Amino acid sequence: MSAVTTSEPTVAATPPPQPQAAPRTFLPARPDAHVAPAERRVIGGVSRESVMVLLGAVASSLATTLLLFGRLTPLAGKFGFVVVLFVVFLVTYTVLISLTERTTAIVDRLMTVLLTACAAAALFALFSVIVFVLIKGFNALRHANFYTEDMSIAGPLDPLTVGGILHAIVGTLIMTLIGLVITVPLALATAVYMTESGSRWAGFVRTVVTAMTALPSILAGLFIFATWILILGFERSGLAAAIAMSIMILPIIVRSADVVLRLVPGNLREAAAALGAPQWRTVWHVVLPTARSGLTTSVILGVARGIGETAPVLLTAGFTSTMNVNPRANPMVSLPLAAYELVRSPQENMVARGFGAAAVLMVLVLVLFTLARILGGRPAGRLSKHGARRTAARSAEDLRRFEARQHAVPSIDSEVMS
Amino acid sequence: MSSPRWLRAVLPFALVIGTALTVPTAGSQVDAASGYQRISGEGSSWAANALDAMRVNVRQFGITVDYNPSGSTAGRKNFLNGTVDFASSDIPFQFRPEDGSAPENPAKGSYAYMPITAGGTAFMYNLIINGKRVTNLRLSGENVVKIFTGKITQWNDPAIAADNPGLVMPARKVVPVVRSDGSGSTAQFSRWMISQHGALWNDYCNRSGRAPKCGQTSFYPTIPGMIAQAGDLGVSGYVSQGFAEGAIGYVNYSYALGAQFPVAKLLNRAGFYTEPTPQNVAVSLLKAQIDTNEANPETYLTQKLDGVYTDTDPRNYPLSSYSYLILPTKVGGQFNEAKGKTLGAFAYYAMCQAQQQSASLGYSPMPANLVQASFDQIRKIPGVVVQNIDIKQCKNPTFSPDGTNLLAKNAPQPQACDKKGGVTQCPNGTGGLSNVQTAVKPGGSTGGGGNAGGGGNTGGGGNTGGGNTGGGNTGGGGNTGGGGTTDTLAPGDTLAPGDTLAPGDTLAPGDTIPGGAIDGGDGGGTCEVDPDTGECVASGGPDPEFAGGPDIAGATPTTIGLSSSLGTSFALIALVVLLVLALVLGPALAWRHFSKRSAS
Amino acid sequence: MAGVTMDVLTTIPEAPTGGVPSPRPLESRRGRSDRIFHGGVSLGGIIVLAIMVAVGVFLSLEAWQALSTTGLKFFTTTEWQPDSGNFGIASVLLGTVLIAIVGVAIALPLATGTALFITEVAPPRVRSTMVALVDLMAAVPSVVYGLWGLFLLQGHLVGVSRWLNTWLGWLPFFEVSGSDPTDPLSSTSVYTASTFIAGVVVAMMVMPIQCVVMREVFSQVPPGEREGAYALGSTRWGMIRVVAIPFGRGGMIGGTMLGLGRALGETIAVLLIISPRFDLNFHVLEAGGNSVSSLIALRYTEASGFGLSALMAAGLGLFAVTLVINFTASWFVARSRSGADSEA
Repeated sequence: MSAVTTSEPTVAATPPPQPQAAPRTFLPARPDAHVAPAERRVIGGVSRESVMVLLGAVASSLATTLLLFGRLTPLAGKFGFVVVLFVVFLVTYTVLISLTERTTAIVDRLMTVLLTACAAAALFALFSVIVFVLIKGFNALRHANFYTEDMSIAGPLDPLTVGGILHAIVGTLIMTLIGLVITVPLALATAVYMTESGSRWAGFVRTVVTAMTALPSILAGLFIFATWILILGFERSGLAAAIAMSIMILPIIVRSADVVLRLVPGNLREAAAALGAPQWRTVWHVVLPTARSGLTTSVILGVARGIGETAPVLLTAGFTSTMNVNPRANPMVSLPLAAYELVRSPQENMVARGFGAAAVLMVLVLVLFTLARILGGRPAGRLSKHGARRTAARSAEDLRRFEARQHAVPSIDSEVMS
Repeated sequence: MSSPRWLRAVLPFALVIGTALTVPTAGSQVDAASGYQRISGEGSSWAANALDAMRVNVRQFGITVDYNPSGSTAGRKNFLNGTVDFASSDIPFQFRPEDGSAPENPAKGSYAYMPITAGGTAFMYNLIINGKRVTNLRLSGENVVKIFTGKITQWNDPAIAADNPGLVMPARKVVPVVRSDGSGSTAQFSRWMISQHGALWNDYCNRSGRAPKCGQTSFYPTIPGMIAQAGDLGVSGYVSQGFAEGAIGYVNYSYALGAQFPVAKLLNRAGFYTEPTPQNVAVSLLKAQIDTNEANPETYLTQKLDGVYTDTDPRNYPLSSYSYLILPTKVGGQFNEAKGKTLGAFAYYAMCQAQQQSASLGYSPMPANLVQASFDQIRKIPGVVVQNIDIKQCKNPTFSPDGTNLLAKNAPQPQACDKKGGVTQCPNGTGGLSNVQTAVKPGGSTGGGGNAGGGGNTGGGGNTGGGNTGGGNTGGGGNTGGGGTTDTLAPGDTLAPGDTLAPGDTLAPGDTIPGGAIDGGDGGGTCEVDPDTGECVASGGPDPEFAGGPDIAGATPTTIGLSSSLGTSFALIALVVLLVLALVLGPALAWRHFSKRSAS
Repeated sequence: MAGVTMDVLTTIPEAPTGGVPSPRPLESRRGRSDRIFHGGVSLGGIIVLAIMVAVGVFLSLEAWQALSTTGLKFFTTTEWQPDSGNFGIASVLLGTVLIAIVGVAIALPLATGTALFITEVAPPRVRSTMVALVDLMAAVPSVVYGLWGLFLLQGHLVGVSRWLNTWLGWLPFFEVSGSDPTDPLSSTSVYTASTFIAGVVVAMMVMPIQCVVMREVFSQVPPGEREGAYALGSTRWGMIRVVAIPFGRGGMIGGTMLGLGRALGETIAVLLIISPRFDLNFHVLEAGGNSVSSLIALRYTEASGFGLSALMAAGLGLFAVTLVINFTASWFVARSRSGADSEA
């Protein structure tokens, strides 16, 4: 092998300075300073034109539909009016937009209107249900005793100033609590198992769990009735109902948690692994917090379903009109069961109490959900004020530690640098 | 230093539990003062209302009762399982079920039946004639069976019109509404049908595919054209809605009262049409017998209602029955003597004091014979404190302290117009609309135009009441009764406003007919005939046919024209819509088209 | 420093005798904490699987008595008379599937539209309110929906059914036997208590479940792709069509499966509305329908022994159908982006 010898050429001598050439850059003459600066274009937001187009389309379609229904055609009916109105509105709106915009913009705004209409239709249905329940239950909801007494002292002939559904409220809360304690850890563990463990059985579990979401609630109740009450010999109680409820909502929570956990980007997990975290730390510190708002949603979905079911509670917890806070003995009634039984009565007062119970259930669930979203609904990466303060405090602590270490130990770097 | 995270997660739950635990608990297991223990029962939803009221009333004695109205069969099953202390059932234990379900075999001597609540199966209906709701419909038993077996399909069937000479029945389809869930009402109804109209029932059983299991059943067999709904709530809720015109269903009487709808009057053996009021049912049950043949455990202590079905008291309502309380007569399972003491006290109260509330709840108080029988059964409960109650002190509205049978004395007899075969019928309403009268077509009287109740005559073709005197009477001489028969008018008859003729009526020369009266099936002269439809546009009130409310434009419905050609009218409507849209949008489109052309 | 020469020496080692070395097997042994973690998580999965399998086994055991008497005729018989031995779930299962199809068909576009509205169109304040309202919609108990459908909705939907039958009655599934749209005096009861009405009520219950899951999925669309679409000049709807929906397909299907599960298993609301009939009825607008859960709920209290076994067999039949549907759907999910891992 020959050694390769290279020699760098010496730096070329600097060329002699040349005479200054005429500058090749021209600065344009400054325009008149009094010219107004260019108007800033508005990119987003709502423009007056779009609002006017919308209002115009609404007015025009309303007038046209009134004309069609009132004078020109034998069309009739409230529902038909709304449908025809909507269709004519869409046509008019499209035509109006097409006067100034091109196809893509037309399609975009049309779809925006359609999406808004979907949401409005859903909301309308919801309000109709709520108003229906409130109107039917209003007479009962008015009285304070409705929320503080139970039905042990009120019979079918008693007025609405006697009796209430406190026993059902307490029963619902107790059953929900027990159900949560049972299902949340189990469901989270299963969802993590399905997404993180990489086991061959994960797909099988997923399919079984998804099939179980179609389990009719009455079968869950029958299962617990046959095993817990008949075979094992326990009596009908709130605990049995809570277990039946858990069996019913477990697949729902598992399935939606699974959907959410699969959304966590893989590179986050890989980053944690690259930093040397064992898998449990990755799951606990990275995956679960990222999916936190989704997991809260899953729990909410499951609990919503479970709270509102009557069949499993009926079979396993019986029915009572007295307050019972012991979940292990004696029948315990929940709000939907109380509502169902009360509404079936021929007495008007009982029917009003039933609808009142349904209204209280909706409010209770709404409160629980709001609480759950406040506690767990923050999207990944965002800290609460408390969390931000804690993180800042820890960073300050770290900074102090670094500075102390730097001053305490004379390091090699400082010697080299000097 | 902020609180640890686990604390913040647990805190809300702790609050909830804390609140729940500090709320005072009512009704613990054993009431210290009286020594009563909490008892639980399950069973009939038919009797649930009464049992609920009794449960509230016994609280004053320190007795706590839990009652689960999940159905008679569930009650009997759980009684056999030993998971409840007592059961309530509309039918006794089914040793040999006639509809093919599995037999129930309680141990001999371990139970007793006690009558607890009584009531009649009421037939709630929704019928409108000429814009007004009918409240005085009458039906014979056979017609009821035919309706519920699909033999009678229209309300203007001659059989129904024969029962209702005072009404002109509309040509509307009959919609029978039955129970889709297992029901004691269905069991009682089928039992009555089998007993009194067996041939019709067996034929129906074959047609509906239920054969050969044609015995008493808790699930009503259905054929197309019938509607089945869940629970009394479902049936009464369905019948009471606007779209259910022409519907008739069987419910507990209290539901018809609560929904404010009328019930049909049923024909009894004495020839009177009666409704299931508390007094009528109580009078009917005076004929109810309790089987005392100990040798046959299947029927021992069960009700024998054949006497009720065939009773000749004018006040009798044939479909009266009562439901049982099933009492344990042996200790076992979760039932002990302390519970027996409680159950006995509860049962005594139920049979004695609680009966005075029955009527206000829609049930009927028990007559003396049944109360006495129940006292005999209560003695058999282990642990019971036997009370020798003087039945006369029970404040039961059916008998008085001095021993007379108040019921027989005070229950009102039916009116003369309720008797079958009359020329007309009573206009009084029934059930939940007992204060609303329905105008009836008079027979043989000068009933031109106005009737009691006013507005909207329900008179119609074929006047009844033969033997009207003299010329110049309305309806003419020699008419025979019943709708649909052909009347012949004698010469010289004049028809007053308010009289109408049925198809088949013939006019003799010299008859004068005021204008506008010859329209088949119309009401009286107070209606205006719509020239387009030939219908009577009632002078008051909107068309109650559809629950959707009046049309946007308030126009009279002109959908009759559809019968000519659906396709042409659809094309015409579409054409009009397109033309209007073109008119509205045309200028804008034209402007765009031309402005683009000029811009390019 | 210029002009430095460096000697670079590269040597290639001799190939060893005995062939090419095989790759080393890489073991990844889990640390103790990870083993505990895996154990705990697997335990959770096993418990849940055990519970589900226990329910399935319980059903099968209970149903065996009935199934052994009918055999395969169970899937083809339409009547339900267990006590005379003549029973089968053909009509009941068909009714269940029809109600579920109507429900999901109505709920799917509504839910997708609402979810897209919440995540894309709505301003932030409206967004949080809408989220709470959709949660509330999921929280309404089924008995309330059933009563609302029975007392409020049915009256209005009868008119819609009649309109559909009048103008679209030539389509086979909009036919109604026993109806005469041209006769104004004909009874409207033939349009009540129908599969269509039950389907609409079920749609109201299914919609919030689907909407909630879809919303979660759409809000996780990678911002990079979203912004990339906008940077290339697409409109909002273009971005939704090209980025959000393909990304969210897995979540959409997952949400639809959950909703379908609810629709197939819904008991009380269907029970209150439907008038049960036992024949193969494809006319969704016609009175009468059926569903497995309402059959079980209606017959359970009166059934004992063999009848109960027959009801359990019906429940088992429902599972079989659901399993088949879910197998197909999960195959789709695994192939979509939000079904597998996604890179932002």
